[in-house]
Amino acid sequence: MWRASAPLRSRVVLAALLLAAGACNYEKVPKQPTIEEAPRLASTVHMGDPTAAAQLVSGFHDIEGGGWRWTQKQFAVTLRPPAQAARKGAVLELHLTVPEPSIEKLKRITLTASVGGTALAPETYRKAGEYVYRRDVDAKLISGDAVRIDFQLDKAIAPGASDLRELGIVVTSVGLVAK
Amino acid sequence: MKLREKIVVLVLALFCLAVHWRGFTAWFRADDFAWMGLTLGVHNFADLLKALFSPLAEGTIRPLSERAFFMAGYALFGLHALPFRIAVFATEFANLALVASVGDRLTGVRGAGFFAALFWTVNNSSATALGWVSVYNQVLCAFFLLLAFHFLLRYIETGNGRYNLYQWLAFVAGFGAMELNIVYPALAVFYTLLCARRFFLRTLPLFAVSVVYFVVHHAVATPDRNPEYALHFTGSMLRTLGKYWAWTVGPMYFWTPVHAPNWLVMAGVALVSLGLLAFAVRRRAAWFALGWFVIAIAPVLPLRDHITDYYAFVPAIGLCWLGGWALARTFRSGSRAMYGALALAAVYLVMAMPQTVAASDWNYRITMRARDLVEGLATVGQLHPGKTVLLEGVDTVLFWNAVLDHPHRLIGIDRLYLTPNGQRHIQAYPDLGDINEFVLPADLTSEALDRDEAVVYDVRGPRLRNITSAYAERPRDLRLPSSVDVANPLAATLLGSEWYAPDGNHRWMPKRATLRMAGPSAAGQKLYLRGSCPEEQLRNGPLAVTVLIDGAALPAAAIRAGENSFELAYGLPEAATGQAVIEVAVEVARTFHTASDRRDLGLAFGVFEIR
Repeated sequence: MWRASAPLRSRVVLAALLLAAGACNYEKVPKQPTIEEAPRLASTVHMGDPTAAAQLVSGFHDIEGGGWRWTQKQFAVTLRPPAQAARKGAVLELHLTVPEPSIEKLKRITLTASVGGTALAPETYRKAGEYVYRRDVDAKLISGDAVRIDFQLDKAIAPGASDLRELGIVVTSVGLVAK
Repeated sequence: MKLREKIVVLVLALFCLAVHWRGFTAWFRADDFAWMGLTLGVHNFADLLKALFSPLAEGTIRPLSERAFFMAGYALFGLHALPFRIAVFATEFANLALVASVGDRLTGVRGAGFFAALFWTVNNSSATALGWVSVYNQVLCAFFLLLAFHFLLRYIETGNGRYNLYQWLAFVAGFGAMELNIVYPALAVFYTLLCARRFFLRTLPLFAVSVVYFVVHHAVATPDRNPEYALHFTGSMLRTLGKYWAWTVGPMYFWTPVHAPNWLVMAGVALVSLGLLAFAVRRRAAWFALGWFVIAIAPVLPLRDHITDYYAFVPAIGLCWLGGWALARTFRSGSRAMYGALALAAVYLVMAMPQTVAASDWNYRITMRARDLVEGLATVGQLHPGKTVLLEGVDTVLFWNAVLDHPHRLIGIDRLYLTPNGQRHIQAYPDLGDINEFVLPADLTSEALDRDEAVVYDVRGPRLRNITSAYAERPRDLRLPSSVDVANPLAATLLGSEWYAPDGNHRWMPKRATLRMAGPSAAGQKLYLRGSCPEEQLRNGPLAVTVLIDGAALPAAAIRAGENSFELAYGLPEAATGQAVIEVAVEVARTFHTASDRRDLGLAFGVFEIR
């Protein structure tokens, strides 16, 4: 019966080791380039999406936990109006969390949004938890390819020894959606 | 191994690579992704055992050739095809060496095995076996059968019991490759009966293993309900045998890339068949070669409606031995018969080779399309993490080879769909899968685009093209869908607030829940509810499920013990026909809790569908 000679065996072992070592450095899924569109504004900005960060005008801290950001007392975002918004208007949706430490310190937080200088109805949060700040945006406030939305909190946690940032609320996404 | 044997193996390997170069350089397709996807469900040892040994795909259990091969291959090399190909072709090179070695021993004519291996390499059945990774089960099964038989011959030659033990080990290991391994005892017994009577009784115990395997496999494997796999123990088996014979000695489906007339191909098949039978008639070992073909093809003969090219891969070895023997023998004799044998060999090669190369190329092209799509999607997943991906322009070939088996799960894309109406360009094969599972309804597409939760890619070119903006500008069909998968996060806008968050492929409701969908398009259509109901919910007897359409209750249905996966059907009121929107309310008679889940749980649903 055929038997592997010692040098052959060592060659096979060496080849297997090299193959395994190569495998460790492999990019598991090869990628092919795609043909992408010219960048355009998003109607909804997910805080975990780093490619949409350019639409966060001001008042947002870095991404945390892969999907949310702390805000400052004032923050602003630019959004693309959804289809037919100039005729039918749109709905502003801010998905947010009021954290327990904020409520402990501030007792209650009031959030106001404004579009093109027109304030939308405020909302006050007295308990920690997840909320959706949802307001209709009139068609006459929406024009062009971009709409700036400004948000304002009545209070925020001031920078301190444990955290040098001004902390308002936690936001997971903000968007203008079709009516 | 002697120098001559090394040269024989080298020549055979190079010839195999030359004929099947397109197979060697092909990528993955279809089932390959499903087998690799098994790794995603393995989180502990119990999961691993389940992934390795639970019956899948027509109730088959092939731990070595499918489960371990793909899972280990994917874990080590990801979606790089070359290591898989090296494994497939290395096994095939071993097979060719065994075919050559066994062929020489079987016939007693040097060179017979070499010619047999050449004939087997160009046989049409090898194109898919070597070109599609999922058919590695055939290649590995051939390896174990040939290896076991090789050891039987060595045992007979030397009388050394060690070879008998090796034969047993190879035989038992072969069950990890494929069920066809069950025929090995018949091959061994047939051979010893014809050519080595002294060993006949010693081969009979092999049957015990096959019987145990058959009983255990029959007990644990789920019978396949696909009518294509129904067994027909009728005269059709002879017709099927005839087809496999003809397609083994000639081109599969009598098709040739040069479009030779059918009568010419059939004449060629008849000539080669007559030549083989004439040679076999007075030689006992030749009967074994014929027996190898018949015994190895026998298990698939009852599959009247599922005739597949690569099923002839292992059986073909027998006829190739016969052909190789005839050619080598007449060569050595130097008689005029040599010219006849050469002519028949040439007829076989002319019929088989072009088809094998064409089939290999066909497979290669499909895998390249699959690679362009899947590797492009890997980039899409990186550019748009978490977004739903919609594909525009998927055709029949691309869908069944690169979408159906969820390759997107391997590249981190959770939700991949065709654009609404995308299924119109795809030929349906209900036995293989449901295209509608991959079609995102128009209104959900519209919502997802408005919320920037979806991107749309055109797949018609070699590179994926992002057409999200252009697609979003198209006129939209905002009709509600007639089928709602409540587990899909994008369907949330159609659901009432009662529903809980989705849990993978299902979503729980409490005692009552509602959703909106389009009414039936024609009278007589029914509403089908598919979901699952755990044992805890059925402990107190059948569970009544009431459905209300726009507030009007339909006759109640019930889920009974044992119906843990259910499909309930409800006739719909005539008033609902043609309605753009209907509200469906579902109410169960009671809810339950578990120790780990304190929610009020009614039923877990998947799809609500009107058809």
